[in-house]
This record gives sequence, C-alpha cells and structure tokens, in this order.
Amino acid sequence: MKKIFLSAAIVGASLFSFAQDITVDEILDNYFENTGGRKAWSKLEGHKMSAELDQQGMIIPIEVYEMKDDRAITKITFQGMELAQGAFDGEVLWSTNFMNMRPEKAAAEATENKKRNLGSYPNPFLNYKDLGYEVELMGTEDIDGVECYKVKITMNPTMVDGEETENTEFYYFDAENFVPIRVEAEITSGQMMGQMAITELSDYQEVDGLYFPFSVTMRSEEGPGQTIEFDSIELNPEVSDDLFKFPGGEESEETEEAEEKQE
Amino acid sequence: MKTLLTACIALCAAAVYGQSIDELDGNDLFGGIRARHIGPALMSGRVSDIEGHPSDKNVIYIGTAGGGVWKSNDGGVMFNSIFDDHCQSIGNVAVDPNDPDKTIWVGTGEIWTRNSTSVGDGIYKSTDGGKNWKKMGLANSDRISSIEINPNNSNEVYVGAQGALWGDSKERGVYKTSDGGETWEQLFYVNESTGCSDLIMDPNDPNTLYASFWEHRRTAWSFSSGGEHSALYKSTDGGKNWKKIHNGFPEGKLGRIAIAIAPSNSSILYSVVESEDERKSGMYRSDDGGATWRHTNKDFGLIVRPFYFSRIVVDPKDPEIVVKAGLFGSISRDGGTTFKSLGSMHPDIHDIWFDINDNDKMFVATDGGLYRSLNKGITMEIIENLPISQFYHVSVDNQTPYNIYGGLQDNGSWFGPSRSPGGIESRDWEVIGVGDGFRVYPHPTEPHIMYSEMQGAEAIWRYDHKLRQTKTITPFKAEGDPKLRYNWNAPITTSPSNPDRLYVGSQFVHVSDDRGDTWRKISPDLTTNDKSKQNQAESGGLSKDNSGAENHCTIFTIAESSLDEQVIWVGTDDGNVQVTKDGGKNWTNVTKGIISAGLPLNTWCYHIEASVFNKGTAYAVFDGHTKNDKNAYCYKTTDFGQTWTSIVTDDIYGFARSFQEDLKNPNLLYLGTEFGLYITINGGKKWLKFDNNMPATAIHYLEMHEGTSDLIMGTHGRGIIILDDVSPLRQLTDEAVQSKLFFMETPVFHMNEESTFGGTSSEVQFVGANPSTGARIVYFLPKRHTFGKMSMKVVDMEDNFVASLSPGKHKGLNFVYWSYNSTAPVLASGKTFAQGGMVSPRVSAGKYKIVIQKGKDVFEHVIDVAYPENSVLTIEERKKQEAITKKLYDMNESLAYLVYEIDTWIDAANTALSEDSKLKKMGAKLSDELTLLKKDLVITSGDNYVGRAENQLREDLGEIYGTIAGNYDPPTASQMDNVALMEKELADAFARMDEIRGGTLKKYKAMLTKLEIKEPEMKPYDEYVKKD
Repeated sequence: MKKIFLSAAIVGASLFSFAQDITVDEILDNYFENTGGRKAWSKLEGHKMSAELDQQGMIIPIEVYEMKDDRAITKITFQGMELAQGAFDGEVLWSTNFMNMRPEKAAAEATENKKRNLGSYPNPFLNYKDLGYEVELMGTEDIDGVECYKVKITMNPTMVDGEETENTEFYYFDAENFVPIRVEAEITSGQMMGQMAITELSDYQEVDGLYFPFSVTMRSEEGPGQTIEFDSIELNPEVSDDLFKFPGGEESEETEEAEEKQE
Repeated sequence: MKTLLTACIALCAAAVYGQSIDELDGNDLFGGIRARHIGPALMSGRVSDIEGHPSDKNVIYIGTAGGGVWKSNDGGVMFNSIFDDHCQSIGNVAVDPNDPDKTIWVGTGEIWTRNSTSVGDGIYKSTDGGKNWKKMGLANSDRISSIEINPNNSNEVYVGAQGALWGDSKERGVYKTSDGGETWEQLFYVNESTGCSDLIMDPNDPNTLYASFWEHRRTAWSFSSGGEHSALYKSTDGGKNWKKIHNGFPEGKLGRIAIAIAPSNSSILYSVVESEDERKSGMYRSDDGGATWRHTNKDFGLIVRPFYFSRIVVDPKDPEIVVKAGLFGSISRDGGTTFKSLGSMHPDIHDIWFDINDNDKMFVATDGGLYRSLNKGITMEIIENLPISQFYHVSVDNQTPYNIYGGLQDNGSWFGPSRSPGGIESRDWEVIGVGDGFRVYPHPTEPHIMYSEMQGAEAIWRYDHKLRQTKTITPFKAEGDPKLRYNWNAPITTSPSNPDRLYVGSQFVHVSDDRGDTWRKISPDLTTNDKSKQNQAESGGLSKDNSGAENHCTIFTIAESSLDEQVIWVGTDDGNVQVTKDGGKNWTNVTKGIISAGLPLNTWCYHIEASVFNKGTAYAVFDGHTKNDKNAYCYKTTDFGQTWTSIVTDDIYGFARSFQEDLKNPNLLYLGTEFGLYITINGGKKWLKFDNNMPATAIHYLEMHEGTSDLIMGTHGRGIIILDDVSPLRQLTDEAVQSKLFFMETPVFHMNEESTFGGTSSEVQFVGANPSTGARIVYFLPKRHTFGKMSMKVVDMEDNFVASLSPGKHKGLNFVYWSYNSTAPVLASGKTFAQGGMVSPRVSAGKYKIVIQKGKDVFEHVIDVAYPENSVLTIEERKKQEAITKKLYDMNESLAYLVYEIDTWIDAANTALSEDSKLKKMGAKLSDELTLLKKDLVITSGDNYVGRAENQLREDLGEIYGTIAGNYDPPTASQMDNVALMEKELADAFARMDEIRGGTLKKYKAMLTKLEIKEPEMKPYDEYVKKD
C-alpha cells in the first residue's frame, strides 16, 4: 500500500504543476486513489474508531461506530456509565441525556435531515453523483501553509427550524497529495448561526489499505476547539443491532430498559 | 521505480527543509498565531448602509465605514462579519432579487465623505450568501454609491460610482454589466470631479433609472460640495440616454442630491437637494416620475451636512412615510411635508431599513452603530454585538493586566483592560473623553492620571480616575503668538524620560513638565505654514462646513527618543519632518532627504517612530491618500534624518498610517496599512501580510506593550486587535525554519491562580477574547503535519507522565497551551457522575519536559514553571497543599480500585456459568455482601441533577479532594479534620472488604477452584490507574 501511495503522490506532484487545469473529479479520483482506491472504499461495511478524550485532565474513552447502512453511534464510557451520542439505528436518531442518563430522541427535524442524506458513507464524495449531490471546485486556498483545492459539495437540503436550507460543506484537499485537511460547514441554527464550523484533519494513517485521519479537531472560527486523537481504527467491525438501537419505544418501558442497559 | 521514489523523497525533503527564511511568505511563517479581537462594541462604529433580503425578514446585511460587511440570519439580533479578507470600507450592499439567498453584491468605498473616510477598491460578488467573494472589477472606482440589479435578469447590474474623493478620476459615473460582472460598460460619465452619488431603478420597470451626479472634492485642508455639474438625471432606456429632470428644482449650482422612489408607487419620487440658495435646499417631491418637482420641506434636519446625510428611505408599503438621514434622522408621515426626529440614539444617521413585513420595525445606521426600533422609530435600542469601533489611536499602561486607551470617531475616549474575568465586556470599558476622541495616554507611572482630547484640541483633558476629576489643560496662545493651529486629530504624547512631561502639537511643539498645568513652546512653526491651506472658514462648498476637520499645516506626530530626551522628532500634516537634538533649542528640517529618497512633496507625515536601538535612528510613515496617492511610504534614517531609505516593497497593498519597531529585534517591524497588517522580519526587505483572524481593516495606530510583548492595533473599523506576545517572531531564523521541528525559547512560566466567577454579558452582547493564561509552548514546523502520528505530552524531568496535549500541526509557528494541570484521578464507577473529584491537580513549580513524537522522530524541550509572582504563600504552605492533594488523589484512586474489585466479583457471581447450586448460593451471598458494601461507597441510584441520591464515600472524598486541589492555598484546620474523617471512612471500607475477602469471597474462590472455574480477570492497580 505504501508504494501505491507514494507513486500516487508523485502523480499528484506532477498534477500540481498545472493545478489550474485540474477538474473536481480528478481531485476526487486522486483522493480516492491515494487513500486506498475507490474499490476498497466501496467495499467497506463500516468502521470503529477508538480514542481517549482528555477533558481538562479527565480521560474519557470513546468509541465511534459508523456503518455503511448509516447506522452510527458514539459511545462514551465515563465512571462506569455508558452514554450514547449521535446514535442512529436507521430510524431513530438519539442520544443519552447527561442529566438523567436516559436516552432521548433527537428533534424530528434532525432525524429527518439524517434520513435525507443517507448513503453518504464513508464520505459524501464516493457516490456523489448517484446521491444527486453536486460538487464544485472553488479554486485554491492556503490552509495551514498548504496550498489546497477548495471543493464545495452540495448535498440534499436540510430542514432548519422549519425552513428548507441548502446543505453545503467546503472541503480543502491538499494539492500535493489530495487528502482533505479541513472541512467547513456553516452553522445554521442557534447562537452561532452564520459562522463556520471547522474540522481539521491530520495524522492520516493506513488501516488495512485505507488511509484515515487519526486526528480530528473541531472548532469554531474563533476557538481552539477539541481534538480527538484516535488510538485505533477497526474496519468492518462486528456489531449487533442492539448497539445502535434506540432503547425502547413507550415512555415507561423506555426508561426502564435504558436503566437496565446502563447497569 | 524504486530509485525514482527514493529520489522523489530526497527532493521533497530538500524542498521542505532547504528554504531560507527570506524565501518564505506569511502563510509559511505565522502558522497558528491568531489575532485577538477585543472590540469593544458598546460604542460600536459608523454603519454606512443597510440592506435586507427581499422575502426573508431574518436576513439583514450592513455595510460599515471601516468594519466590512456583517450579516444577520435572525432578524437583526446577532451579526457575523462576512467580508474579512477584503476592503472594509463599504459604500453599498445589494441583494439580487432573482437569487436573494445566494447572490450578494458589495460596492466598496464609503460614500459619506467625511475627512476620515477610507477608500474602496472595487465591487465584489458572492454567489453563496456571503461565504465566498470574488472581486468583479471597478478597482479604481474609489467609492460605489449604488448597485441596482435587474429583477428579471441577474446578469444585468447597474452601478453608481461616486469615484475618487481626493482627486480627479475618470472611473466614475454609471456603469453596467450584462454578464454578471465579468465586463463593465461606462454608460454615463460627466467629468473627472463629478460622480454618481445615487442610482435607483424603478422596481416596476428595469429600464427606468434615476441617477444623481455630484461635483465634489476633498483636500487635506478643504472640502467642496457642489458646482455646475451636480444634477439629477433619468433614463428610460436602460441607461443609454439620460435626461436632466430639474423641473421645479432650484436654479444655480447644486450640491449633493439624494433620490428615492416609493416602492409601493413608482410615480412618487423624493429628492433632497443641496442648493447654493439655502432657502431652496431640502426635500422635493415628484408625483409624476420626476417630470415635475415641488419643494416640500427645508427644515434643519433636511438640509444639514448633505455630504454626510444624503439618504432617503420610503416605507415599503406606504408612499407617504419617508425617512431622511441626518443629524438625528427625520421621519415624515405626510409625504415629506413635515418631519419629526427619530427616537433618541447616537446622532449622525446614514441609512434606514424597514422590516419587509412590519413597517413599525426599522433598523437605523449611525456613527455609533446599528439601532433597532419596534415602534416606528420612536424608541431605539442598539445592537450590542457589532465591534466596528473606529479608533484613531491607542496607548497602554504598565499595570497587570495592562489597560488599553484610545479615542474614536465621534465616540469619545475610553480605556479598558487587555483581559478580564469571563472575557472583556462592555462594562469593563470606561469613558474618559467626549466628542470625537483621538490621542489618549495614561500617565506613565501613575496610570490613574489620564490625558484625552476632543477634535481640533477644542479641549485637552487631564482626568484623575481616582478622584473622578477632570481638568482642561489645552495650551493657549501667549502674547505675540499667532492663532494656534491644531489638527482635527491633534498630537499629544507623553515622555519616556520624564513621567510628568506632556507634549502637544499645534504648529508649535508645546511642552509641560507638570502634567499640563504650565506650558512652554519649544519650537518655531514647524509646518510649511502655507497660507493657501488655511482658509477653513470657507470650506464646505455650497453648504459651509467648518468643523475643524480640515485644519491644516499642523503638527501631527511627536516622538521623544527613549535613548535621549534631547532628541525629539516631529512630523507635520503638510509633509515636514523636523528634529531637534537639544530639547527644542534648535530644529533641523530633514524633509529634503526624504524627498530625495522618493517621497512626493507635502505628503502627510502620519507617524514617526524613534528607534529604541539607536538615537539617530527613526522611521517615518507618510500617507498620501489625501492627495489621491494610495502608495505606502515608510522611510528609515540612521543619521538623525540627514539621509533616508525607503523600506517599503511591492508586497504592500494600500497606503500606510502606522508603524511599530519591535522592542527587541531591530529587523522585526510592523506596518499598519489601510488594508491590514504587514510584518517584516528582515528590516523591510520583504513584507509579509498577516491575515490570521486579521481582517483587511485600516490600522491607524500600532503600539507594543513592553512587559508582554503584545502588539496592539488601533483599527478604524474593527476596534482593538491584539497579537499576543510576538516574541516567537523575534526568534525566526534560518535554523528555525530549516529544522524538522524547532522549539522557540520560552520565558519562565508563572502559573495563574486567579479564580473568578466570570462575566455578566448576555448572549447578544459582544465579549472580547482573553489571552490564554497557560504555558505557551511554541515550535516551528517547516511543513504541515498531515501523515503519520504526532503526539505531544508533558513529562517531569524523570520522564514520568504528567499531561497530554494536542499538538499544533500548521506549517510555521505553532502554539500549544498547557494549563499547568496534570490528569484527574480515576474515580469509582457509580450510578452518577462523581462531580467533586473531577479536578486535575496543578503541578509543582519546577522544570518539565515537553515531548513531541512526530512519526519516528522525538523532539524535547524543557520549560520552567514557577509559582505566581504575586503569591503570598510560602513554599512550605505550597508543599503542604500539594502533599494533601496527592494523598487525597491516591485515596480516590484506591477507592476506585476497591469498587472495581467489588464490581468484578459481583459481576462474576451473577454471571457464573455453572449450575452448581452451592456455588450459586454462595455467589448470591457474595453478591449481596458486596452490594451492601458498595452502597456505602458510591451512589447507586438517582441522577445527575435534582434526582441525585445522598452522597456516599466517593462523593465525600471527591468533594474534599476537589476543594483542596482547587484552592490556591493550603487546607484549613477544618478541612484537615474532614481529611482525617475520610481516611477513617476509607480505612473502614477496606476493613469491611477485608472481612468479605477473608470470609465469603475466600469460600467462593475455593469453590471456583474446586469446580475448575477461572477467577475473573482484574487489571493490576498500576494499570487500572494508568493515564498515558
């Protein structure tokens, strides 16, 4: 794999010299080629990422599962308790409430938005045409001292506080090796509405032939943000349906089951 | 192939590590340095234009005089800056009616042409609602007054270019694009001094356009509004032909003319006309599309200062409701016949925006920010999150934290802290001068004494902040003196040698050695004293405007050398530089040497910086924009002004006003231009644009704080912006940039033990950012880290793990902050969060190693951590606190391990895969005993909020640990009593566990052995509590 990657980097380097002529699909082709190949990415059924978050000196283990069929969960283990964030079982988007430790469904709009953009695994570029997404090369921009291609992706619109809203993200692909090092998305609701949420990607490492960013920093335009450094990434993890499933349906049943689950 | 790969790797490596520092640009060097914005926003600044979305009431844009474009997505509650990278002086914002969510146009260059207005550099377009911008041309239009978009065709856009204010220019008039801005055609041009000051399109007929043309000119010493060529025109064929529509207008010379159309009835037009016959100035109305006009009003509010207030806004639904910008803003409900003032707010109203659905609600643009009214403009409230304040000058004191002082356009003089609990809030700022504020200085050694002034030195004040007493200390003319000429922005400065000394500049240098009580003149007239530039009483053109803003042939900058108090430099607004080496007895005009070095004659000397390294060395910055010259001029002398060398390069865009010499590295210089900050690290051979969180705003003054090495920028549109501790820039060398990773030298870090309860601002108020109080670790990376693992940690000098950090990975300088805390103890598992114990203890003072692992390479750097400088605690007291904290830390972890053991056995007993009835029975007994014990050790029911159960040992132990670890001083006697109690309770718990271990657990284990069932696995203690 390493050899393939390096030779791709040479191709990348030579392409860079006539950067102006490159098309957005060539950028994406290079990205997939350099990180393992479209075929390998297409075969991927899911992955599990493990990290230990350092929150002001408190070490908090987390596990992030993302599956091809869009099921997902971030599992946080803290002082013997397990909490779920951003869990999606295909139908219900849910999280654990930190106050009473019970599972709660996300607002209908958030769930709807999740469902409007299914099929985006492992990232929205792999099958963007089939998904009806649009991509556009905006030009080049310097990010962290790196010349990058700025690519805009427009996905299916989402509902924001009752209004249908355009759903775009900006990816910055390193012009030398074509991996994205930054993603920006506009914050569409709340106090910071209108500002950009920034995700910085680095520490790309190979996992069974595919390259993943092992370091992800999420921040606002102003703040230093929070970095997650993944210790390991496991491809095609074995998972049970229960892992993602919203624990319970009716209110009373739901509560009891959730409590059981935690104990 | 293999050879090729090896060669490539070698080449890549050479490319990365081989560059010398002079080859690198700003993006390569500055890395993670980020400018810190502290506002303030409480006085806000001048808003020049308001534009809303035509169908979404929540989307509102404002253009500002010097702070760019801001967008609200929530109906005008919160605003975000969306134009940071471009010229911040805004003339007009327009939303494409065909694509209002996405296509936005911005015309740069404010059109309210006061003396201090900035300049524009063209027209910009966004096709994604303001996220990205593209410059679409008209780069020399200077100021764009209007942008009108065909509601049926987005590609057809008409632009009114007001053009250059300070000189002749052909790039003005009416322009049109038919291809969305790719190309422009000048449809209508009058002459080199007459520009289009207003252009509107009939909303019902895009071929019908009205354009007002204004003949006007500013110089540094006068202003002229009006002439033969000012006129109002109409076109009915899309701008091909234009006809003057003056039927009913006054005869003779006209000045600035505003024009507006009633959106609900496009036959009705309103115009405000500046006439040479003042009785005929004021509001005109046409009910027939401009064919005829009638004069409806000439009240003060309608005719005041036309150059500053020529905007009319008609209610979107009711053609009889019309608002005119002005000193207070005037609203008419009878079609322009009579007016009353808008509600109380900051004066100087420039634009009004009516809510598209509810015309009771309106927004108003003023010199002091954006206001909102919910009741027809009767009462007004300011928007509190627009830090667009316009500083002319800033200074600092030497307190900790230091304060920043400065004066603002039409917003007085203020001081506020460089950091404050919870962030720098509006309430942190205090006003110390009224009117327009300019130079403000604290007394160098007694900072409760402050000096401030108002425009044209109408008053210079000494304010005693302790006594709350103000004394006016303006120098007056003595017998035999001519009239004193003070600049609008008159220079005041303190002395580095004598704390009670104060300098003030008129055309003379005035010095006081007793804080302004008595003055002596130490110079002759140092200006050109050109009488032709001293007729300010005649300034204004058709409407006289002698505010003092055009005072000329004045001293503008004074600098006493910090190395020799006898050396004083003076720069004047008419281009002189003079120096004395004997405290003012003799002055030498050294202008000639600068002219020889290329400076055009009579260019405004904006700033002189006396070097801190050599008393013969100085830097002089000149601003030619008032002569329509937008080049940057900065010269250096090393021989008391005999010879000068230009230190600007083509890297610099826009003219410069401000300069700072680094206090430690003579090759490190900072230049403030109209479009942002430039830095050179090689004495001016190459200038690097600094744009990390730094908007392209005009920097009117730069100051460096000696104690912190902070660079403080007084911007004229984005408030005060700080680069915290620039000392890493002093260490940029070839060695640094050519290393794989290079740690910058760091000072001894003094821990911060301040603990406060934060701020009080509401969600809608701007709060300025604080600097980090952690240990700042700085290193240089020659290439962004993207591939492979990179980690960072703190270890002690014996390599024991202390804390992990997230490394910066930018190319260039990286900054990582460590809070001086190690990791929190592992706490026992329970049903709820053990909140009290979640505290990471502070480390002891001493040396620590910073270790960065980047791929296979390991880089280390030793830092020195000290206790706070102002601490009253003894080392013994600190050691006691640290020892007790450590003891409690370990107690928490031993309790956690005990609960882990209990849980392991409960789990094993409950899940044993055996049908043996004796084992099951014994397992149940074991489980019961352990569960009973556990209930006394941790909370096993309830929730994390008000449903929480009674505290158990984990909670009590966590609480006393958190209390002592979090306090700044050693534990008190009563806290120690509690520690003793906790020790006893923990010992009791262990004793109870020992009892179970020796009883039921022992029996259960024996049964397991007999049944050949494996005991459950348990991590050893060290592994269980391991952090790294």
